[in-house]
Amino acid sequence: MKELLKLYRRIVQRVNINLREFNFDVEPLICDLVSFDELEKVHGFYAITSQHPLDFQFRDSNLAGSYFLGKCRTTNSILYKSDIRGDEWKKKGTVFYIGDFQIPLTKDEGIHIEDSLFIKTLVHNFSHDPETPERFTISNTVSAHYANIHGSPTDGTFLEPFSTIDLTTVNDCIIGAFSYIQAGEINHFHIKPGTVWVRSAGTFNFLYRYPADVLHRYIRFYPGSPPQGIFVEFVNKYKEAFERVFETVKIKSAFAVPPNTSLDRFAAIIPKISIKDNVLVAQRALLQNSSLGRGANVQENCFIINSNLAGYNVTAHGAKLIDVDMEEMVFVGFNSFLSGQGCRLTIGRDSIIMPHTIIDIQKPLHIPAGSLVWGVVTCEDELAANSISLKVLRQLEDGFCRGNLVFEGSGNQFVSAFQSRIQHILDANGAFYDGEDNKGHAQKNQNISFNIIQPYSEGSKKGIYPTIIIRK
Amino acid sequence: MNSRRVEDLMVPLSEYATVSAGCSLREAVVALEKAQQKFGQAKYRHRAILILNEKNRVIGKLNQLDAVRALIPVRHGNYGTDELGCFGFSNRFVRKLYQHYRQQSVQLPELCNNARAFKVEDYMCSPFEDECIDHKADLATAIHQLVQENLRSLLVTNHGEIVGILRLADLFSAIYHTVARQSGRI
Repeated sequence: MKELLKLYRRIVQRVNINLREFNFDVEPLICDLVSFDELEKVHGFYAITSQHPLDFQFRDSNLAGSYFLGKCRTTNSILYKSDIRGDEWKKKGTVFYIGDFQIPLTKDEGIHIEDSLFIKTLVHNFSHDPETPERFTISNTVSAHYANIHGSPTDGTFLEPFSTIDLTTVNDCIIGAFSYIQAGEINHFHIKPGTVWVRSAGTFNFLYRYPADVLHRYIRFYPGSPPQGIFVEFVNKYKEAFERVFETVKIKSAFAVPPNTSLDRFAAIIPKISIKDNVLVAQRALLQNSSLGRGANVQENCFIINSNLAGYNVTAHGAKLIDVDMEEMVFVGFNSFLSGQGCRLTIGRDSIIMPHTIIDIQKPLHIPAGSLVWGVVTCEDELAANSISLKVLRQLEDGFCRGNLVFEGSGNQFVSAFQSRIQHILDANGAFYDGEDNKGHAQKNQNISFNIIQPYSEGSKKGIYPTIIIRK
Repeated sequence: MNSRRVEDLMVPLSEYATVSAGCSLREAVVALEKAQQKFGQAKYRHRAILILNEKNRVIGKLNQLDAVRALIPVRHGNYGTDELGCFGFSNRFVRKLYQHYRQQSVQLPELCNNARAFKVEDYMCSPFEDECIDHKADLATAIHQLVQENLRSLLVTNHGEIVGILRLADLFSAIYHTVARQSGRI
């Protein structure tokens, strides 16, 4: 039997063993999602910069179309068109502050992926687990299209399409499609699709779940067929724009950007585009007919189409903006889908669009400055039902419920936690660089060299990459 | 007490409150209350009712808590009754939330009326192995089983068929009489 097939079966078995308490079989869900032919042909690639660690170890894995940056190790894994991004790592010699702990670090943090299969998944480091501060491990895990594993050590888990685990240790869980989980640690949990859960134990707890019929229109995922729905149709429309970007290793950007801005060479650009200082545009992002103001960032798998970002905006991994005008300091969370197609959506300053929010309007809509928006919004009435002024939320100390949202705890601490994180993201991305201080990814990610790595092209190991160790 | 067996203390099936499968929750509640009244003040009252199939075999048990639980809404908004606890919401907050939902939805009399439409099988608990004890077992074994399983009664079996119910209250009463006899009070 071919080694690649053996590897695939081994991973499936590992996940099923971990999820046996749910009587769960991942195989029917993923068997047709990736073609072995494609896995055998597509090359992987890694980045070299003077600003990041260079420490890769690839063993007995398939890395088709995947991108690696920083300190990454893969063993017995299949990573298909995934981004393993280790550019926000905990550094050797520093102290990691988490809760009441101050943990001195003796090594740079590394991402370790073992016995796992990822499909178009983003992995970003800075794990928040105090138990293994220097080692961010993902093992016995399968993730489907556009899942995000963000600073979340994971074992024995299946992530359905467009799901996100963020700063959460996850063991033996099934994360439903388009669910977002930021809860510190979860174990043996089957999260239903469309669940948005943000919990800081003892401080606040935010829980929203999409109505099944609404979610069904945007994303549905059943055994025997690939993910379907508006999200998938939207992303597939832009497949061709990315093909040219990934076809060749060296490609010269036809678009000039300011020297303190980073436009990744694996981002897709469809003119006309305007990009100001201190902007970060990550790989696999797509820009079309849009402007990005000073300090804005557009992270992996984001789509910015016919939109204007005034500046200091965070567009987190997988967010999509179509016909949107954003004032300064607006945050749009992971995988949110904001579409003002045919009209305009305007978002007032300092607003927070929660991760995994859907705004899909048929008439122009204005979101007032300083709003928190969640769930699904298609009109003014739904905006009223699924939003709250941050000022009002700050005054709520005992929780509230509104529609499908249940919130317990301190609104003030919830808003502060979000605003502090937004500030951190802008800072880490170099939005506040003044020419000397506050360098971030926008400045550090500029001069990147890319090298390709390829698998055996014949024999029983066809599709398996040889063991490769690359270090400074 | 040492020589006594489970069958000596159990309430035989023929004396216990029973209803047939297929009846409504409302009928079960009425049958349970009538059975309680029959026992009068001197005896411990039934706290559960047994559900029989067409062959008069026990297929489940409905206690007072099961009946009451049936009257609270199964879902609150988009979440199951027990789900919010799993997501880490405090009991105090969940109670408050339910109060809020109740104010917006049907009131208790209407909920009780709705019990006509509920089938008793949907709310009963099916017997499980550790809830059953052989009629010849000694009382010490029964005590151990009640404590280990945190139960208030055991279903008594004879050759695998349920023939009665051993209630914690009857067992406690037997213990009391033994203790009282030893201390010379009886």
